[in-house]
Amino acid sequence: MLRFVGRRVFWGLVTLVIVVSLAFFAVNLFLPYDYAVGLGQRPRAIEAIRQQLGLDRPLVVRWLDYMSHFVRGDLGVTYEGMSVSSQVWNFLPWTVGIFAVGGVVAYLFGEWFGRLVGWSRYRLLSSTANIGGVLLFTAFPPFLVFMLFLFGAPRLSAFRSSLGLEFRPEAGGPSGLFHLLAFGLVVALVGGLIARAWARKRDYSALRVTAVPLAVAGFLVGMWLLGVWGEGIDWLLWDRGLVAAAALVLIAFGEMMLVMGAGVSEEIAEDYVFTARAKGIPGSRIRDRHVAPNAVLPAISRLVTSIPYLIGGLVIIEVSAGSGGLGTLLLSSIGSGQVPVVLGVLGVIGVIGIAMRVGLDVVQAVIDPRLREGVRR
Amino acid sequence: MIEPGYEHENTGWAEIRRMAGRSKMIIAGLVILGSFTVLAFIHPVLTATVWADRPDIYRPVTGHDTSISHPSGPSVAHPLGTDPLGRDVLSLMTYGLRPSFIVAVASAIGAATVGLIAGTSAAFFRGRYDRVMTHVSDAFMLLPPPLVFLLASKRGLMGPLELGLLYGILFGLGPAAIVVRARALAVMEKPFIDAARSAGGSSRWIITHHVVPHVIPHLAVVVLAGVVGALVTQGFVEYLGIGKYRYGLGNLMYNALVYQGALGTSVPWSSFLAGSLGISLLASSFYMISAGLRAVADPRSRRRV
Repeated sequence: MLRFVGRRVFWGLVTLVIVVSLAFFAVNLFLPYDYAVGLGQRPRAIEAIRQQLGLDRPLVVRWLDYMSHFVRGDLGVTYEGMSVSSQVWNFLPWTVGIFAVGGVVAYLFGEWFGRLVGWSRYRLLSSTANIGGVLLFTAFPPFLVFMLFLFGAPRLSAFRSSLGLEFRPEAGGPSGLFHLLAFGLVVALVGGLIARAWARKRDYSALRVTAVPLAVAGFLVGMWLLGVWGEGIDWLLWDRGLVAAAALVLIAFGEMMLVMGAGVSEEIAEDYVFTARAKGIPGSRIRDRHVAPNAVLPAISRLVTSIPYLIGGLVIIEVSAGSGGLGTLLLSSIGSGQVPVVLGVLGVIGVIGIAMRVGLDVVQAVIDPRLREGVRR
Repeated sequence: MIEPGYEHENTGWAEIRRMAGRSKMIIAGLVILGSFTVLAFIHPVLTATVWADRPDIYRPVTGHDTSISHPSGPSVAHPLGTDPLGRDVLSLMTYGLRPSFIVAVASAIGAATVGLIAGTSAAFFRGRYDRVMTHVSDAFMLLPPPLVFLLASKRGLMGPLELGLLYGILFGLGPAAIVVRARALAVMEKPFIDAARSAGGSSRWIITHHVVPHVIPHLAVVVLAGVVGALVTQGFVEYLGIGKYRYGLGNLMYNALVYQGALGTSVPWSSFLAGSLGISLLASSFYMISAGLRAVADPRSRRRV
């Protein structure tokens, strides 16, 4: 198993190098600026800076130079001389927090509801759910965000003021609190999912149901123990962030439900289901213990192909909800021609995508031992 | 237990067409797509017949109805209402659908061509070429198209054709190539390929007559799913106003929100909903056809017909 993970991580890094190279060439092709244009005003000054920084070298040499810095974790500096890594790092918690919360909630509800829909024999339920799922998945993100703001924001702000909260966090704040909260939340949610999967395998039904809520409760207790309870609650109840997460939940829920429902309804006709029925095993047990694990596998491999759609959707959501984060940083740095920041953001988005990809591959390998042995599907 | 249609594996078009007639998803998708196609081309017909007495107020960009106040909800004269500038929303929508259709067709053609070439060649030649292509496809999967469009708009604004083709190439090298490669590899394992080879079939013959026909139904499924992404991305480009044209469905939404913000009025629902639901429904029709085709093309689901 460890060898498998190691191999996947290695090839993930190879893919990352290709992604960053593609981003490098795309930026050089599309953006009519470079670092010197951002610093100099007159043509001759720009030329001098370009020579001084080596930007007049051939593209391939500059690419090698950039890559050699990238693999050492150096993303360069902005025109103002700030480190790009720190700027990206400041915007990261918003994106990571929204993506993790949205993704996990959508996965949990989508898997559960898809299982029910796929197993159900009521035609009306399954066709309504399918059409609803398609409409959610293909909903135009700015539309979802707008509707959520219109109907959700007044209630949320009433709730906030009933708690006596006034302060609103702004993107790019200097404190490390947001990083702590965002990554703590990711760790809690992933831990909850792992505990849930383990409980399902061992058939501990009480732990299976409560694993994720317990993990979230643990996160809240941790917040309280660290003495950041007030700021933490304030951050969790931030209206723009919540709207962005909810929009992502709706879109990803539609996809997950459709995929899981299709997987379950395909498995129903398999012989082992007939056998189990003939042995008198109750339907819900056949569904959860026998059909769902088989249906989850193709569902996860379908999710892998929707990663770019979901990340693209997340960027659209972030920009239209104004929730800060990498999408907003990218939009503003393209607008001001901050080439190093553009490259840095694309690279970090590539890292997030590859982390998800490798994570899903490992999950698949845990579920299906055949994949571990390197058997090609 | 051998049932008719399963004793020999056949993923040919004739069978898929027969099965497609029974899939509700495909029928629903085709109905939505058909009505949008009619809508996209109905404007000249309407100006010639129903709107013949005052065609000027239905001009998509410059029309204005002076007899009522704007924005207005649905009425007999304006079935979808008017926007804050007094333009007929139905007319705006019929014109806004045209770039959407161009993007859909261009991205589908681009993705299908690129995906077919990249995927089948990787499966056929294998070896080092295949390994490199797999990583390139993985990398393209991780470049979110909206970001690429944000970048590309700096070089010059894009019209619907460029937008569709660029999306098609990105999608074709990424997800489409991965799906085609997997399917082509599965076909290459089949005994009839060896038979064709030992009967003296050339590589070209085997690719064009055996591999490609088996791959095309799966290619259709993934390409139609890609059109969904292309349409949503196009809506985003229009919504941000970085497209070359100003009459898309996303522009309709953008205008509605700008007027709402500037005038401080309530949302002009007629144009807002027309734009957003137009994008969503058009995209959903492609998704439904794609999902229905996938169910039909999967041999496992065929067993219980």
